[in-house]
Amino acid sequence: MISMRQKLILVPDLILLCGTIILELKKYPVFDFAPVPWIGAVVFLSFVMDNLLRKYMSSADLYLFPLVMFFLSIGLIMIDRLKPSLFIPQLRWALCGMVTFMAVLYLAKRIERLKNYQYLIGVCCLLLLCSTLLFGTEINGNRNWILLGPFSVQLSEFAKIMIVIFLAAYLTDHKNVLALPSNKFLLLRLPPFRFIAPLIVIWSMAVLMFVIQHDLGSALLFFGIALLMTYMATGNKSYVFLALIFFSVASTISYFLFAHVRVRVIIWLHPWADPTGQAYQIVQSLFAFGSGGILGSGFSSGYPFLIPEVHTDFIFSAIAEEFGLVGSIFIILGYLTLFYRGINIALHCKNEMNMLLASGLATSLALQVFIILAGVTKFLPLTGITLPFISYGGSSMVSSFIIIGLLFALSTKENNNA
Amino acid sequence: MHDRKMKKYIYNVTVLLFSLFLILIGYITYLQSFESADLANNPLNRRAMQIEKHMQRGMILDRNGKKIAYSKKNDQGTFSRIYPFHDVTAAISGYVGDKIGNAGIEGYANTDLVGINSPLAKFGPIKQLFNKDQGDNVKLTVDTRIQQAAYDALGNQKGAVVILNAKTGAILAMVSKPSFDPNTVDQNWEQLRSDPSSPLLNRASQGLYPPGSILKTMIADAALKENVTTTKEMFYSPGFLKVDDDYTLYESENEVHGNITLEESLAVSSNVTFGTLALRLGEAKLADTFNRFGFNKTFDNEIIEPKIQLPTFEKLSRGEIAQVGIGQGTVLVTPLRMALLASAFANHGIIMKPYLIDEILSPDGFVLKKTSPEKWLEPTTAQRADTIESFMKSVINHGTGTKAAVSGIEVAGKTGTAENSSGSAHAWFIGSAALPSQDIAFAIIVENGDFGGLAAAPIAKRIITNILHTEEVTQ
Repeated sequence: MISMRQKLILVPDLILLCGTIILELKKYPVFDFAPVPWIGAVVFLSFVMDNLLRKYMSSADLYLFPLVMFFLSIGLIMIDRLKPSLFIPQLRWALCGMVTFMAVLYLAKRIERLKNYQYLIGVCCLLLLCSTLLFGTEINGNRNWILLGPFSVQLSEFAKIMIVIFLAAYLTDHKNVLALPSNKFLLLRLPPFRFIAPLIVIWSMAVLMFVIQHDLGSALLFFGIALLMTYMATGNKSYVFLALIFFSVASTISYFLFAHVRVRVIIWLHPWADPTGQAYQIVQSLFAFGSGGILGSGFSSGYPFLIPEVHTDFIFSAIAEEFGLVGSIFIILGYLTLFYRGINIALHCKNEMNMLLASGLATSLALQVFIILAGVTKFLPLTGITLPFISYGGSSMVSSFIIIGLLFALSTKENNNA
Repeated sequence: MHDRKMKKYIYNVTVLLFSLFLILIGYITYLQSFESADLANNPLNRRAMQIEKHMQRGMILDRNGKKIAYSKKNDQGTFSRIYPFHDVTAAISGYVGDKIGNAGIEGYANTDLVGINSPLAKFGPIKQLFNKDQGDNVKLTVDTRIQQAAYDALGNQKGAVVILNAKTGAILAMVSKPSFDPNTVDQNWEQLRSDPSSPLLNRASQGLYPPGSILKTMIADAALKENVTTTKEMFYSPGFLKVDDDYTLYESENEVHGNITLEESLAVSSNVTFGTLALRLGEAKLADTFNRFGFNKTFDNEIIEPKIQLPTFEKLSRGEIAQVGIGQGTVLVTPLRMALLASAFANHGIIMKPYLIDEILSPDGFVLKKTSPEKWLEPTTAQRADTIESFMKSVINHGTGTKAAVSGIEVAGKTGTAENSSGSAHAWFIGSAALPSQDIAFAIIVENGDFGGLAAAPIAKRIITNILHTEEVTQ
């Protein structure tokens, strides 16, 4: 007898196999066998990894990996459907991600040591972000790509993880000073400036990212991570106020100073004023949602191609069109489950640094999902960030697997009370 | 201690993020259910066009299954639209083209014809199991034999014919002339559009004309309803009616009719009698009559009409009120409306809702939608309707409509000669006929044809004889 838990990995693997078979049958009578070895490799590796994890790390949260593989499979079949030419590259990135995951598990045995390198990580993160600010290349309107030989890398995806690690370590160390502030400043109770300086630097970086790189998604993400992690560490609401004031002032100033900021806001508020021009993408995305309806058009029977860049930032719109409301809610509930498991891991962590790290990682993942989903549905202004594990892209894939690897490591007995 | 506090803060953040996601789920639910239809049918949403490209557009069929429009695959894999009846059915089918858009049934039933309006669409992925390379077929109430008969009977004159089944409201024929060939409308688009005789306009349901004397049938009904006269009252017509110092209403050709009843007044189409009746009714009751017969109502189906033009009754002078009584002045109506007026008297006081689309059929022949005949209005009583119908038979037997008489068939009718600004008067004839197969009501207009009894009534006779002939042949 195989237990339920053992069968779980079959679900994503079957999604991947059935999805690709459906797409191949549609190409009848011409079949493309090139992706077969790669699909085989992903399925095989997922089985091996699932078995290894259950055997050697049975104390960890064993639901994480099948859940992530579920998103990965949905993403893979959608990319095969939307951009077949990128299917094999994405399969390759999936394999890279899975290997990275194992590497993180191996390296993360002594996760506390990260604490000793907190400033090094912080500075690295700053350097990464500065280098994109200075040398960034524009791809699809976002100037946050760095060209490294044949690869283009989105360094902000990795800087995001570093910021979470840095904040977890820094905030645990200075929690008491930050939580019991000495200075009063305009009704706000704040600690000496040198302690909140790193936070202000992160917030400023976020604003610069938007103004210079036009990368609203990452800006919101970094800002949100810094804000929520500070609150989780200190519980001091003054930071929340301070951040919101900072945010309002910065956004008001940039609204009046920079034309592209104004354009974003206008598109968001009045997309139907220029539906064929600047608001084209978001309007097409809304059409996809509407045309999908409750049950969707059926896999590979919709017209998501009408949305530009549908395989990266707008992949959720394609899912909503072809799988309908049922499918989109299913995906969101999946991410909420992932977030919930992450928070659960955090609440069972032995020490504060780990607790903050786990909750920071889980929060960053949830926040990223929220920002992009809210963007493609016009709930918030449109932002260009990826949907973890589903959107096309290597940087996003590898960095998302690093986050899950760290969370997985934090859920093991050595780091966890559960 | 601190540990427990931090757990509380983490919990707070979790609640915040969960709430954000719940709001987002609510918003997406709104988008994909309540807003879904609006977004899916937005004209800027190019999905319908994409589907059309590799979809064999459904057929438009007549009531007997004859093809009015169908698509044929070319060698290049594209489809061309074929209209076997050319100009004859153009007013009904309308046209469709990449550059020119669509009109008529091709326009109204477009979503059915390309299959995206199919009830199966609600089943999401399940619809993929059915034949999906072909749109749904639209079966009309039109009988192409009657359509052809009406088209031929109108000859080369400008005008329109509407024939409907008085008992059901099903439209049997709708002719508009000059017409166009929908097969070549794409090539001739610029010329058709700029043609001053407006061939693209469906005069039968969209042309607005003054009704003239055919409206007297309705005035007679109103006068009897409001008790401003009886069937026995004798009217005296010296050939004119002096309404007030500024305005005198004359009989057509200044004829002197002498002492006549209401029935005789309708038969000879006396302007004096109906001018008098309109004045007796007054503006409020006239307005009420137009409303009773549905002139202020629109149809919520495939019958596309412009707004019927009625005068502002409370501002009418006495002279203008008298003019309303003989169907002149500012009243403008469509031929379809006049056929409905005739149907009220033929159908014992009930106007059925006119309709063109009988069934929507899936490519496999399943009936996806069926229109059932529906009572629209009951503007008058059965008794009064029968009285007016008997008057209208007198019009045929010894009045202005003798040229519409067909031996062996009960025909009721009323002629009209509507003065207008475009030249000679428009010739009207409305009425009904009890054919062996069905009771029909009709309206015929010949633009600038002059006397209704001479230009329009003979067309009714030709159509009825033609229908009888084809019915005999097929039996």
